[in-house]
Amino acid sequence: MFAILLDGIVQGLQLSLMAVGITLIFGLGGVLNLAHGQIAVVGGIVTALCIGEGLNPVLACAMGVLGSGVLGLLMDRTLLVPAYRLAGEERLLLGLLVTLGLSFVVNGFLDVRYPTVALTLRLPTPSFALGEVTVRTASAVVALIALAAFGLLFAFLKLTLLGKVVRSIMQNEVGAGLCGINPARIRTLIVVLSAMMAGLAGVVQGLFSSLGTELGNEFTSFALIVAVIGGVRSVNGTLVAGILLGIVNAFASFYVGAYLTLLILLVTAAGTILVRPQGLFAFRT
Amino acid sequence: MSLLLSGEAVEVAYGDIAVVRGVNLEVREGEAVAVIGPNGAGKTTLFKAIAGMLALRDGSVRYAGARIDGRRHFEIVRQGIVYVPAERELFPQMSVLENLELGAYSCYGARAERLKFVLDLFPRLHERRRQLAGTLSGGEQQMLAIGRGLMSRPRVLLLDEPSTGLAPFFVSEIYRQFGQLKREGLTILLAEQQVPHALGFTDRAYVLENGRIHLSGTSNELLGNAEVQRAYLGMA
Repeated sequence: MFAILLDGIVQGLQLSLMAVGITLIFGLGGVLNLAHGQIAVVGGIVTALCIGEGLNPVLACAMGVLGSGVLGLLMDRTLLVPAYRLAGEERLLLGLLVTLGLSFVVNGFLDVRYPTVALTLRLPTPSFALGEVTVRTASAVVALIALAAFGLLFAFLKLTLLGKVVRSIMQNEVGAGLCGINPARIRTLIVVLSAMMAGLAGVVQGLFSSLGTELGNEFTSFALIVAVIGGVRSVNGTLVAGILLGIVNAFASFYVGAYLTLLILLVTAAGTILVRPQGLFAFRT
Repeated sequence: MSLLLSGEAVEVAYGDIAVVRGVNLEVREGEAVAVIGPNGAGKTTLFKAIAGMLALRDGSVRYAGARIDGRRHFEIVRQGIVYVPAERELFPQMSVLENLELGAYSCYGARAERLKFVLDLFPRLHERRRQLAGTLSGGEQQMLAIGRGLMSRPRVLLLDEPSTGLAPFFVSEIYRQFGQLKREGLTILLAEQQVPHALGFTDRAYVLENGRIHLSGTSNELLGNAEVQRAYLGMA
């Protein structure tokens, strides 16, 4: 029981890591990024390739996260430019199409170029005892990494001027412009940051089990569900929703099987939109 | 007093429909000028065009000698023209202090001095400084919107219908504060439907009707104008 709960929390943290980028990019850019899972996968694959070249694993992970960031930068500065010229619903729709296209391209490219590459990171000690329970070292490391990443993100958003600027644009883009803030520049920064957090989630997948080129779509769907349940404009809502869904996912997979689990999660997301469109946990951004 | 802000044959349209049609207007340094007129006359459209939020279809806007039409609104803020919209456009889930801090984005080094200035002007904001902007009353939100605009050390303040939705007490209070700002040398362009307040406070005024300047003159002259009295001051 406890092991499943723990497992769920850790998986949930990984989900949050992935979903927070969707939240930020939507809140700031008005675009739902359907290539977010692919960006995460690219991070993992870059890491695997770097390790294959004999690079130090920690450095390789950093390269992977960086690789995701570069892909995010390219997406923001090229593919999304026409979408950013539009506003509101039109921007959302064009953004959906463009990022969906990108997800196809990345999936196809990885399948053709690197069909056999997968990322599996093994830690020197597979598990340790915490009182009565045995904890997988990988789980502990994933939890620590995710918590550290979120800690830094929250500190950035709450304490720095740039973080406040980000929140101001999420809350009222017109108001931000009236303060002399150029939303486009901040947007690029946030897309890159979001992509790097997705990359981190991809790398972390290699610690859990294994990350292959086929996981992109699954990542995107899970991240979308988490972002919707947490409230697509609320960062802390996303964190809570991710953990909750991770726990639901772990228990459901254990008792009813993975196939039904996804259904349960989707129903939860749909129900959330019906009952509380702003997200279950949307308190403050 | 030298000319600070001017519009020449300004035309603004939504699609094919021209809302502002060939408006000429001048604001001198240190002056307070009102634009009055009925709902839908084009006051907000004119202000948004000056502030860089809407593109001009024709004409030009000059500020301190240089053309500023075609510039984006965030650039115009940095040049010293701040627009305070009737919708206020605050950050509802941020505190009063955070809203004000962001107002100083374009002159961040001076934020402490600016903050003191704004909180002295609006003691009520000081009382509410830790409260979220979304939880303030309408009058307090209006003060916060003006305060946030003042944080960037503007030379020109564009006030769009500042009395909208405010209780009479608040209207008198913010006009007292506008008077203080004017005495300190700030240039103010004001759009207002509360005509007695607007004409009582400003030096000059334009009457905008159907997107055109219908009348203009000193505010005192307009207060005595029979047409203005009939249409805007409710006198027979």
